[in-house]
Amino acid sequence: MSVRMEMDISGVSRAHISILPASEIKATLKPEADRPRCASTPCSPIRGTVAGYQILHMDSNYLVGFTTGEELLKLAHQWSDGTQEKSSVSEAVASSIQSTVPKSVDFGIHRSSRIFKGKTRYYQPYDIPAANGRRRRRMPSSSDTFLRSLAHSEPGRSLHAPLPLCLLKGKRAQSKSLDYLNLDKISVEESSDTEVLQYQLQHLTLRGERMFTRNKT
Amino acid sequence: MKVKKGCNSTDVGVPVTTEEDLLASAVITPEDVLGLQKITENYLCSPDENIYNIDFTRFKIRDMETGTVLFEITKPPSTDKAGEKKDVDPNAGRFVRYQFTPAFLRLRQVGATVEFTVGDMPIENFRMIERHYFREKLLKSFDFEFGFCMPSSKNTCEHIYEFPPLSENSIREMILHPYETQSDSFYFVDNKLVMHNKADYSYNGGT
Repeated sequence: MSVRMEMDISGVSRAHISILPASEIKATLKPEADRPRCASTPCSPIRGTVAGYQILHMDSNYLVGFTTGEELLKLAHQWSDGTQEKSSVSEAVASSIQSTVPKSVDFGIHRSSRIFKGKTRYYQPYDIPAANGRRRRRMPSSSDTFLRSLAHSEPGRSLHAPLPLCLLKGKRAQSKSLDYLNLDKISVEESSDTEVLQYQLQHLTLRGERMFTRNKT
Repeated sequence: MKVKKGCNSTDVGVPVTTEEDLLASAVITPEDVLGLQKITENYLCSPDENIYNIDFTRFKIRDMETGTVLFEITKPPSTDKAGEKKDVDPNAGRFVRYQFTPAFLRLRQVGATVEFTVGDMPIENFRMIERHYFREKLLKSFDFEFGFCMPSSKNTCEHIYEFPPLSENSIREMILHPYETQSDSFYFVDNKLVMHNKADYSYNGGT
């Protein structure tokens, strides 16, 4: 394998980065207006934030979700705190998604956030269903592709999946809300048994899915 | 602007090492991690060992064949007040999770541009070794050298990832088993481990 690297060292002092603070970025999210569908039309640079990171671009033909360990742990804690917290999570998330979209852009997104709130209690960072709730049959080339992919609950899968072991091990030393998992009672020999941990997390996930099913019916 | 070539470690002739052995070592070298046979369960260094204050501020990946930018992310300057502590697991900031579509596995070359700042100390021989596994099988090990970094500088570097050839069966399994593809990214200064990041991946997005 050959590797090409280009390094650009820019001076002694750190250059000022003209990037909006995360708190202001939420107010500036502006999806592009509709454009003719064409395979060569790139996805618009829709911005979003995850745990302080600013997403500048995400081509949903290849990538539909990104999250951090901080977000996963936060959601796991909120899950473990019971239904009240889950309600507040969904409300908080719906409000955070709403705050990232200018009101003038698309009322469909606001309607979708209500749908989001009713259908699921998971935090789905980029789960903005397509306008009118209908699947769009167009070439995956514009910003709509990004929005449509969000409607498929892609990011929710990151929560349904078990937490990585590296996060579980780190959190075991600190967590109180995860005590019900009895991680502290797992012996040193068992601690490396990922199947045990995954089973416990799947129990958590399945419990959430049952709630999701009830909400749908 | 410097252009440097990296190399893909084939792990030929590298002694096998275990995570347990390395956790007991005072210093972890590039050769140590090249001998790892599977993803580590623990981080091999603490966040505090990043004494050079290396901070990644922007990341972008693109398909080298078409130039299509797949993903770009940046980290705005921290707005935390001095001395304010967050009740967050320090390791949580060293892990990311990607949800790719199956189409991603069909790519051959992906360019990854990373922008990072460094602290007040010069950095000699900055190097990254990134190892990707599916379950307990090493898919590929990437070895990139950044070289020397001036103190208090901001640097941008693009690495070219050449995807390993994957059988249809492997692709199918990777798609069917989300987040069982994982990676360890080890960063070295002067052949000493200073940072360790992790990631996992799914490839069933959009299906």
